[in-house]
Amino acid sequence: MLVTDIDSRRGDRPAGSPCRPSARSGRPNGGPEPRATGSWTPLAGEALLDRLRFTGRPRSPADPARADGLRRCLEQGLGLVLGPALQVDRAPLVITKGRLNQATAGAGDQCGAGFGERPFTVAIACGALIDALFRQLVTIGSIGDPMADGLAALAIDDRQAPLVAWIDRLPGAQHRLLADEVRRQASNLAARWPALHPGWLPRTEESMRVGLVGGAVELSARVDLAVGRPGLEVASVAIVEVKSGMRRPEHRHDLHFYALVEALRNPAPPFVVATYYTRTGELDVEPVDDELLASAARRTLAGAGALVRCPDQTTSTSPAAVGGDETCTGLHCGRPVGPTAQDDEPASAGRAA
Amino acid sequence: MAAPAEVITAALLAPATAEVSVETRLAVRDRLLAAAPGLVERLPPGEQVVLTIALLRQLGRATPGPVRTDEPFAWKPAFVRRSLGLAAVEACLAHRFRAPAEAVGPVAAQAVAEWERSGWRTFHWEPWLATLGGGARSAVLAEATTWASTLWTSLDWGQFRDPPRLGGPDDQWVCAASRTVRLKGRSEVRAFLPARPGRSRAGPLATAMVSMAGGTPRPGCEVGLGYLALVAALRSPSRPAPARVIGIWPDAGQHRVVDVTDRLLMDAGELVLTGVAAVVDSTTGPSVDPAVSFGA
Repeated sequence: MLVTDIDSRRGDRPAGSPCRPSARSGRPNGGPEPRATGSWTPLAGEALLDRLRFTGRPRSPADPARADGLRRCLEQGLGLVLGPALQVDRAPLVITKGRLNQATAGAGDQCGAGFGERPFTVAIACGALIDALFRQLVTIGSIGDPMADGLAALAIDDRQAPLVAWIDRLPGAQHRLLADEVRRQASNLAARWPALHPGWLPRTEESMRVGLVGGAVELSARVDLAVGRPGLEVASVAIVEVKSGMRRPEHRHDLHFYALVEALRNPAPPFVVATYYTRTGELDVEPVDDELLASAARRTLAGAGALVRCPDQTTSTSPAAVGGDETCTGLHCGRPVGPTAQDDEPASAGRAA
Repeated sequence: MAAPAEVITAALLAPATAEVSVETRLAVRDRLLAAAPGLVERLPPGEQVVLTIALLRQLGRATPGPVRTDEPFAWKPAFVRRSLGLAAVEACLAHRFRAPAEAVGPVAAQAVAEWERSGWRTFHWEPWLATLGGGARSAVLAEATTWASTLWTSLDWGQFRDPPRLGGPDDQWVCAASRTVRLKGRSEVRAFLPARPGRSRAGPLATAMVSMAGGTPRPGCEVGLGYLALVAALRSPSRPAPARVIGIWPDAGQHRVVDVTDRLLMDAGELVLTGVAAVVDSTTGPSVDPAVSFGA
């Protein structure tokens, strides 16, 4: 069941929320105008939080048998679809949401050309900036100058250096377009996104990595926000993905993949996964149940099969540095798949003069 | 799949089941002193090899790739998250804050203010953090909050009868030679264990360590955990070697419990030699027959 707040007709927006309808054209993210028109208003504050917390479904109990069953199903399936390609002594085949999306969206067409680093666009830049600003809002509760804050956050992440340099080189008109959109979305975000109680343990950019088949395959994800304490007797974690662009079908698949990985690493799956669209204020909420997890597992298997049929796509990770990340070097690369323990070793290890 | 925090903590705090003999500790130390200088002979004079558990984990991957040791250091959020995160968890344990998300900001602000007042750097990153504007600073705080929240939920802090030690200085041991080998060990939590049945609590208590790492555990990671016990044992020969090390990989929902035995310590010693050889190889090119160097 997909619940979207677009269906909500509640007029519970707090006073002062600047959810203005926009008549601007030439939007960096393309697509039609946001649906913040008519009687519908985006959820904000407590109402948004309630939509996330109360799904109308019972929360799954923690059940190790569920995770074991999912793992068994995946490992058996991987054995079938990967066959001889499964080699535990090689670097693992890393499966991310992006790889799955590309692999399942007609991998045959993309094997030769579509994989690899995507060229930067204003939309991608907007997404990165909004991600950083969302993280800032969750962490300190406010956003200053959106462009300045967003760029500053990206600038201290050396993995984002090429994007920051690209933004710096943008021609004036495009730079203004980007800045206007970032400011608009940041303003709406700050007005609508609720403060999260520290006791809910909000965690931004949380990394999830699950090894399968003796480490030959690794499911890897990084979620924008995880809320709730894992490891309780009932599902208590909510996962939220933030999107600055328009709604796409693969966003639901992304959420399902997150739910699957979380269900494999903790005794209980998340009780809900959601996508928050900063462009419109829409919140797509999906309660997690066994059917959703099974569906995600089937899609993962299909994607893994498509991945190994693509030449050179099994190359997955390469250690970047003693103090660095593992970087995705195969398809949908350009973004590290997650930091490792090495990041916690600022003192130079290895050879030192 | 992640075990509940109560289970991991109970395993951590259970009485020690084994004790490393003095003879083994001496034997491993002698082995390192005898073999390590030969391995680093090919390095230029004056250089040293610094081993950490992170480096050993990197070498333990299926495709470790080149060991990069010459990157210039520059602060980034990932370098701050551990020390700031540990301070935040410590503040929560002292009941100053309810949760890491509440603690990280004030703890960081306090550290910067203290540095500005006294010039004393508790964490080393204070001057860097002080220069950052709101956006960059919040990215640092966010990284630390996530790290600290993960540690906070990985253990059941109510089970600790004696307050655990969080972080603290790295254990270090140096194999002195013309080209030194420095072993550095770092654990996130160190706990005191109850005395073994039949033993009095008169002497120093046995300890257990927790190491939290990103990514997924690799085969053989248990010996890597033993490395932490080895460095602690080498550093303080008069104190009991750590009795247990628990590795937690929250990203993967995995943990490993290793009781420190004579065998584990010896294996960790061999891992050190393998690691030193790999670092030297990455610098100078592989030796003709590494097996000879390892004395395997």
